[in-house]
Amino acid sequence: MSASDILLETHEVVVRFGGNTAVDRVGIDVRTGTVTGLIGPNGAGKTTLFNCITGMQRPDAGRIVFAGEDITRLAPGSRARMGMARTFQRLELFLSLSVRDNIRVAGDIVRANTGRRIDVEAETDRVLELTGLTDIAHRDVSDVPTGRARVVEVARALMTQPRLLLLDEPASGQTEQETERFAELLRGLADDGLAVCLVEHDLPLVMGLCSRIHVLDHGALIASGTPAEIQESPAVIEAYIGTEVVA
Amino acid sequence: MFLTFTVLGLVLGAVYAIAASGLVLTYNTSGIFNFAHGAQAMIGAFTFYQLQVVWGVPTLLAVAIVLGILGPLMGYLLHRFIMGGLRDTAEVTKIVVTVAILLGFVSLSHWVWSPQDARMVRMFFGADSYVSIGGVVIRYHEIICLVAAAGIAIGLRLLFTKSRMGVVMRGAVDDPDLLRLNGHDPERVAAIAWAMGSTLAVLAGILITPVGGGALEANALTLLVIDAFAAALFGRLRSIPRTFVGAVVLGMASTYLVAYAPSNWTWVTNLRDALPMILLFVVLLVLPQDRLRGAAVRTRERYEVPTVRRAAIWGVVLVVATVAFRQLIDDSSVGTLILGLTFAIIALSLTLLTGYAGELNLAPISFGAIATLVAFHTGITGQGLDARMSLTGLVLGVLAAAITGALVALPALRLRGLYLALATLAFGGIVSSMVLRETQPRSWFGHEFALFPQGTIIVWPLKVGPLDLGDQDVFLYTTATIFAVLGVGVIALRNSGYGRRLAAMKDSPAAAVMLGQRLVRLKLSVFMISTAIAGLGGILMSMALSSVTSDHFVYTLSLSLVMLTVVGGIGYVSGALFGGLIAGAGFSLIVGTFNELGSAHPEHASTFSIISHLILVAVALVGVGVAHNPSGNMSSIFAGHRFLAGAPEVRYAAIGVTVVLYGLAYAGVIGTWTFGILVAVLWMALPALGLWLRAERLLPPEALAARRGVPLELVGVDVPYPDGFGGQLDRTLGLPARARRATPTIPAQAQAPSEEGESHVRV
Repeated sequence: MSASDILLETHEVVVRFGGNTAVDRVGIDVRTGTVTGLIGPNGAGKTTLFNCITGMQRPDAGRIVFAGEDITRLAPGSRARMGMARTFQRLELFLSLSVRDNIRVAGDIVRANTGRRIDVEAETDRVLELTGLTDIAHRDVSDVPTGRARVVEVARALMTQPRLLLLDEPASGQTEQETERFAELLRGLADDGLAVCLVEHDLPLVMGLCSRIHVLDHGALIASGTPAEIQESPAVIEAYIGTEVVA
Repeated sequence: MFLTFTVLGLVLGAVYAIAASGLVLTYNTSGIFNFAHGAQAMIGAFTFYQLQVVWGVPTLLAVAIVLGILGPLMGYLLHRFIMGGLRDTAEVTKIVVTVAILLGFVSLSHWVWSPQDARMVRMFFGADSYVSIGGVVIRYHEIICLVAAAGIAIGLRLLFTKSRMGVVMRGAVDDPDLLRLNGHDPERVAAIAWAMGSTLAVLAGILITPVGGGALEANALTLLVIDAFAAALFGRLRSIPRTFVGAVVLGMASTYLVAYAPSNWTWVTNLRDALPMILLFVVLLVLPQDRLRGAAVRTRERYEVPTVRRAAIWGVVLVVATVAFRQLIDDSSVGTLILGLTFAIIALSLTLLTGYAGELNLAPISFGAIATLVAFHTGITGQGLDARMSLTGLVLGVLAAAITGALVALPALRLRGLYLALATLAFGGIVSSMVLRETQPRSWFGHEFALFPQGTIIVWPLKVGPLDLGDQDVFLYTTATIFAVLGVGVIALRNSGYGRRLAAMKDSPAAAVMLGQRLVRLKLSVFMISTAIAGLGGILMSMALSSVTSDHFVYTLSLSLVMLTVVGGIGYVSGALFGGLIAGAGFSLIVGTFNELGSAHPEHASTFSIISHLILVAVALVGVGVAHNPSGNMSSIFAGHRFLAGAPEVRYAAIGVTVVLYGLAYAGVIGTWTFGILVAVLWMALPALGLWLRAERLLPPEALAARRGVPLELVGVDVPYPDGFGGQLDRTLGLPARARRATPTIPAQAQAPSEEGESHVRV
């Protein structure tokens, strides 16, 4: 699979809540080996689209294709077993486990639920090292501050050896330093062939990190392109009036 | 005839609807599913009986007192003193607290209104006041039921759609903070809802007894909660109109069943009693799957997981202690101790299922009943006093329990934990009202036999090779060993990848699914392991009892076992030991002791009887106390003892004292009771004792400094610089942890907030 293959695509996805169309015929794509950003003002439909991709929300119309397969009607767990992993905006850590066990259990789950044989212990150590969590590995996860807890969620997702990593507002609650280190980690992962897609409010992070960006407003896709193209798009500037768009 | 039965069905449905709407009301405003709903109805009906029949209060006044004062007051007090304290606790804790209230009400009613006496409640205006429409007789009482239900339906509809109060009520569970922000008081709203809900329960209670024949019976009324729940399920516990539809379906179905089933189907009356429970399973099957929602909220329950090595050491200690304790008690008490340990094995099934996986089984002993029956029919060999249970019977019994567990759990597994809890309670009801009533022979798969012959079966002790449980001492030691081995096994399971997956599922189902975990499969497997353990414990329990009747599997026994295990600490194997010993041995010991005292001193017999009843009610109060200490007693004891790690000499001294006391007891200088109480008090008070004797080695520096009035910065100047201080400073400053030293750990609340940022945990 080459670096620019499309791994995930949405086609004309529609979600209605009562009379309100939260997502209106949106088509985006996420490519292997890249970091893709999904941005837009509050209420633009980012999270709803995100939920359609992960399977927490059933779209009213449209198709979602992952690794060449139509997954529109697939349960969240099946998508995960196909190689999709996500983090949560409101963190969903396993609060009774240590940092290490939070990551290790993801390996346990993979072993028990897919045919893949992975060396859980060794893989846990590798992921801890990779994400820079070794120093807090034995802490209670409930004592870890938000910024690093977000990294724990990424590490946990990485244990499943995913092809697509979906991040829901990963930078919220992180200090500037932490965000920088975090961006570096994601860039490295993408270079190794992972497809990363993030929903994010931190525009500097998105502009600096993503190679492609999709912009949603009022449920509709108003622009797709490179950071430079997005910053010059009149539609995007209009949608963000009153909000500073910084490179 | 058809019309008459339709009217009867409608009336029954109307009463179910009244009960069910109360349940839905409290559940939706406080988020607590009230298992004591039926028990409240029962208290209402008995109070009404007491007023109207015993004291001769005019009917209208009696109704006014029960509906106007008892109902609302009961609801208000429950909310004010108990339910209000349940915020931020796990669903299990909430369920157990209402279960404790149920048990409290049941023992209260048994105390005041002896279950041996028959009581009748007549219809309002008597059975002779009726109107006849086209040949169909409708009694005034039935009209009252129908009118009351219709009035409540309209009233609730108006309340929820038209009144401000109703709208606020609907929001009370979803977002109490938002309500508060808008100037409402969610607590007040919940209090009103509880008052209304319990009034509806009481109303249903006084209406239903004459409809069902007039005999006032505490158990049947208490289980009204299952009928109400089955009806409420039609509306997914949310919609009042659909709940009414469900109630009418339920009422009609049970009336038609009795009316039109062939008369040679002798089991139809049993089936009718079990119908709501069976219907409940059917509705569960067709309910759509719950939507996956993130909800990793920190609850107040906290459990530590011991290592397998520690667990193994404690397992050996338990067996040795059992052998040592056996030497102190006389032969007649051994049976009681065995019974306690077999209950502890059943409780162990809850440690795994509830403590580790967060699911609930409210009828563990009913699974024991299934296992017992299968073992009884397949495993008894030999004749007369030489008859024994074979290993095959034991294994088949355990397998049967596991398979039954799978069948019971499957319909509910796609749904939230509450539904599984209710499904198990319904299963307990089915076992009691159908299986255990199969006392007459009938043809089963071509063989003619009774499932539960004559209502009493003799379960002979197990014999495997040289091991013969016919010997009491051997039985006792074997049971203790089985508990120890299973306990260590359960802890080993928790420390394995399987156990971590259970913890993940319990903490955040959404995250576990998004990592690829198949939840239903995992829940099913843990439920089957758990019911297998319950089955094994149940067979051992039956062997310990030897002569077994349906009373030994009554649902209240399961409920008290669950409750006491939570009180002990459901996340701990020791919690199971605590719960099992109290439920299996403690009760009978207490009641037995007071009965003996009563017969020894006849002039004080009534006093002793009151005390023993009081203890039974008090046990329920202990269960209610779970709200304040949701992690259980064992958790508090462990926390205290962890504290003692800095001063091992305190423990050595305690061990020494225990040995000396044992010696005294063995020599007969002090009694067994005295020994038991002294040892228990010694070990429970040990943390306080240690603190008093060895404060300087146990307390963190700040606490110690605060005790002496020395400011923290002068530690090391004015007072000695203690060992643990370096580690404490590191943590406060956010420095990486050094290698672990043998220093006292500092309680979490003493830890300063981290410099790195706010914790992410939602409290």
